[in-house]
Amino acid sequence: MTAWRAAGLTYIQFSNIAARVLRQALKPNLRADALKREDSHVKFTPWKDGKPITEKA
Amino acid sequence: MASFVRTSRSAMRLLSSKPGSVITKRGYADEMDFTLAAANKVFYAKANVRQVDVPSFSGAFGILPKHVPTLAVLKPGVVTVYENDGTAKKVFVSSGTVTINEDSSVQVLAEEAHAVEDLDAAAAREALNKAQSDASRASTEIEKAEAQIALEVAEALVAVAQ
Repeated sequence: MTAWRAAGLTYIQFSNIAARVLRQALKPNLRADALKREDSHVKFTPWKDGKPITEKA
Repeated sequence: MASFVRTSRSAMRLLSSKPGSVITKRGYADEMDFTLAAANKVFYAKANVRQVDVPSFSGAFGILPKHVPTLAVLKPGVVTVYENDGTAKKVFVSSGTVTINEDSSVQVLAEEAHAVEDLDAAAAREALNKAQSDASRASTEIEKAEAQIALEVAEALVAVAQ
């Protein structure tokens, strides 16, 4: 068993770290675009009575 | 009469054992249906290539057409694709899976993949330095393991980037 697996990490977590390090090692012109993939964004819209309730941010 | 029935039965048995079920059917005669894709880019889509070398946790291995069906988990490293015209293309993959199907199709799916030419040697060394300092500062088991992963990937990148 690998050390990270023994520490309780999953392959998904391993994959995330590996992808992040790879993005850091890109040529500067490609890096800016690649770093945008670092975060994931989730947008929530609550609905009530069949209509979205627009939240004020 | 009885012996005739017996022989005809055994003949029928021979006929019913179809040769088609013994020789596995392949979609491509001596060709590979190769796909290499990542979240950032599609490198090959059902392309016919000669050979593919992949790094996996069960060891690095080469794939030729008619490879035995296999599943493997990718290890950070270089996938080398030998195209039919003899050129070899090197792509660094972070992680992902490799699937080799019975019909000789192969899918390498990575989280992040970039041509080796797109790697920056200075940036790779910087990532290695950062990984080393993170590793020395790590206190918990999980932090240590995470830093160790980053360190191994950065080492592989430094070795590959020119």
